[in-house]
Amino acid sequence: MNRASVSSSNVASVGYDPSTLTLEVEFNNGSIYQYFDVPEIVYHELMRASSIGKFMHANIRDNYRNIKI
Amino acid sequence: MPNSPTYLGTVQDVQGATISIALDKDTVSGLAFIDGHGYRIGQIGSFVRISIGFTDLFGIVSQVGAGAVPEALAKVEPYGYRWLKVQLVGEGQRSSEFKRGISQYPTIGDEAHLVTEQDLTRIYGRPDAPNFVRVGSLASAESIPALIDIDRLITRHSAVLGTTGAGKSTTVASLLASLSDPDRYPAARIIVLDIHGEYHAALNDRATVFRVNADKARGEQPLFIPYWALSFDELLRVTPFQGLNDADRAALVEKVKQLKLASLQSHVRSGVTADTMTVDTPIPFSIHRLWYDLHRYVCSTHTAPSANQRGTTEAIELGPTGQPILGDIMKVNPPQYRPITSGGTDRVYLSGAPLNIRRQIMATESLLRDSRYDFMFRPGPWCPNPTFQNLDAQPTQDLDALIKEWVGGDKPITILDLSGVPVSILEDLIGVLIRLLFDALFWARFLPEGGRIRPLLFVLEEAHAYLNAGNAGAASIAARRIVKEGRKYGLGAMIVSQRPAEIDPTILSQCGTMFAMRLANATDRSHVTGTVSDNLEGLFSMLPTLRTGEAIIVGEAVHLPLRAQIDAPAKNRRPDSHDPKIYSPDASCGWNRHKQSEDYARLLETWRSENPRSINNPGDKP
Repeated sequence: MNRASVSSSNVASVGYDPSTLTLEVEFNNGSIYQYFDVPEIVYHELMRASSIGKFMHANIRDNYRNIKI
Repeated sequence: MPNSPTYLGTVQDVQGATISIALDKDTVSGLAFIDGHGYRIGQIGSFVRISIGFTDLFGIVSQVGAGAVPEALAKVEPYGYRWLKVQLVGEGQRSSEFKRGISQYPTIGDEAHLVTEQDLTRIYGRPDAPNFVRVGSLASAESIPALIDIDRLITRHSAVLGTTGAGKSTTVASLLASLSDPDRYPAARIIVLDIHGEYHAALNDRATVFRVNADKARGEQPLFIPYWALSFDELLRVTPFQGLNDADRAALVEKVKQLKLASLQSHVRSGVTADTMTVDTPIPFSIHRLWYDLHRYVCSTHTAPSANQRGTTEAIELGPTGQPILGDIMKVNPPQYRPITSGGTDRVYLSGAPLNIRRQIMATESLLRDSRYDFMFRPGPWCPNPTFQNLDAQPTQDLDALIKEWVGGDKPITILDLSGVPVSILEDLIGVLIRLLFDALFWARFLPEGGRIRPLLFVLEEAHAYLNAGNAGAASIAARRIVKEGRKYGLGAMIVSQRPAEIDPTILSQCGTMFAMRLANATDRSHVTGTVSDNLEGLFSMLPTLRTGEAIIVGEAVHLPLRAQIDAPAKNRRPDSHDPKIYSPDASCGWNRHKQSEDYARLLETWRSENPRSINNPGDKP
C-alpha cells in the first residue's frame, strides 16, 4: 500500500485502501500498523486533523482492530 | 452419346477436391424423371456421382451457372455455359459401402451422373444398423432417413447451432427421444442442463426433473448441490470470500480443513483418511458453523486486551434470563457482543484477530439467509445441522445418493432445470455440476456404473450464456475438459446455442458433429463455417435460407454431409419454448383478450417467494 508522508510528532506516513477499508500507519519509531474496517470518512478526518497523533490516539487506536506488520 | 437417363455432363476441370462439370447440351435443366421419381438438376447441396471404372466418386454441388466456369475459360465463354462446381466428399466401390475420402481423382471427360434414390440409399441407408438412429429425412429425398451414428455422436461430441426459432430445441428433443428409446437403448444416460425449463414437457415420461423450488405435484425432484462437495476455489467463487489476500485466504483454508477434519474424525468415510484429506476433498462440513466460528473470532469483543484474549474473555451480552445471547448457528443469528469502552474498570476491547474479513463475514450472513441459495447452502438431506449441543452433526445422506439420483435413476434422462438459480452464480454452478459428475465418473471408470462402461451424454442448452469465448469461468473450464478428455472416459457433450460466435472456439472446434440450422448473423455463420473443412463452404452458404427444422449435418456421426429435415416430435413431445402470443385467435391470452381485474398482490407474493408456481391457481382464473 502507498503511504503519504505526514508531518506529526509521532506519525511518519499514512496510507488507505478504500476497497478493503484498511488504514496503514507508519509511526516515527518505524513500526507499521494496519487498522481494519476504517470508514473512508475517518481517514479523511485524520488527514485534515490539526494533530494527526492526537486524532490517532483518540479515534482510531482503540476503535479498530489492528495488526502490527 | 451416353444413353443413361442420369447422365449430366463431363468433368472438365479438377482442382484438388473441387471439380467443374460442363452440363451436356442434351441434359434437360429443371426436372428429370428416373424410375418415376422427379429429380431437380443442379440444385445446390444435391449430389453428383462420377464413375471411374469400378469406383464411384460422390460430390456435393456447391455452385451452378456462369460463375462456376473455370477461370481460364471465363474469357472464351463470357456468358458461361451450363456448369456445375462440385466438392468431392467420398467414394464407394460398386456394390460395397460408401467411405469418406478420395483414393483417386477424376480426369477430364469422366462422366458425371445424377444421384438417384437408389444411390442415396447406398450412401446413407442403413436403417437396420443398431448403432444408427433416425433424426429425420433427407431434405432432397423424403423417403430416405437421415441416420446418425450414436457412437460418434456422443463420444466425439456435437453441437446444435441455429438462430432462435430455427428449431434447435425441437431437434434436441427429437434426438433425445430417439436416444432414450427404451426398447433400443435401455441403459442410456443423458443429463440435460436446462436453463429455461423447456424440456420437461417434451420428455416427461423419460426424464426425471430436478429443479430448485421443485413442484412436487408435477413430479419434480428438488435440486440440491451441497456446498461441501465444491472444491475450495469453487466455494470461494460462490461466496463473498472471493478475492481475499493471501494471509486471509490461508487462514480460511486452515479453518475449513479443521472443520473437515473434525467431521472426518466424528464419522469415518471410506476412501479418505486424515492423512490424505485436503481442503478440496468432498467431506461434509458446516458452512453455517464456519460463519459462526469466524464471526466469534473476528467480530467479538473481549474483556481483555488482544494479547490475553481467550474464549473465556469474550464479552457476550446477557439476556433477560441471565444467559449469554449466543445467537443461533442454523438461523444465522450472530451472538450479541458488548460494545467496546475506552476506559473504566470493566473495559471491553476489540478482538485481536489478525484477519481483515469482517465485511466478508457480514456478506456471508446475508448469503446464508437468502432463500434463493438454499439449494446450495441448505441442501436438504445433505445439510449438516450443527447445534451448540452437537457441533459435529453429520448430514443424513452422503454424495453417493446425490450422484445416484442424477445419473443412476430409473429413467434414462435427467433434466437439471436451472431456471430458478440466481444468474450471478449460474455459470459457476454449471461448472461445479459438470466437474462433480466428471470427477465421479472419471474415478469410477473401471466400475460398472463408471463412464467407460455406461457413457454419459451432457446436453448443454443455451451454451453461449456460460461458455463464452476467452472466459476463464468455471463452466468453460469444465466444458473444455469434457470436450478434450471426455472421450476416453465415456463423457460426451452436446452444445446447443444460438450464438456460436460467443462460444469458446476451443470447445466448438472439438465438436465432431455439427447440426447447423438456420443462421442469419454473418459472424455466427463464419464461426460455424470455420470449424468445418474448407471444401464444404459452398454447402454452408445455404445456412441463412434453411427452412425451420432443417439442418445441415456434417462431421463424424454421418457418412456424408447431409441436409436433413428433422422429424418434428409428436405433439406431447414438443419442448416448451413457444413464445407468448401477442394476438391469439381464441383470445385466451395476449393483447386481444378482454381485460380482467388483476390481483397484483399475487404477483408480489410470487416475486417475494421467488417461485413462479408458489400460487396454486396461476393466470388462467380471473
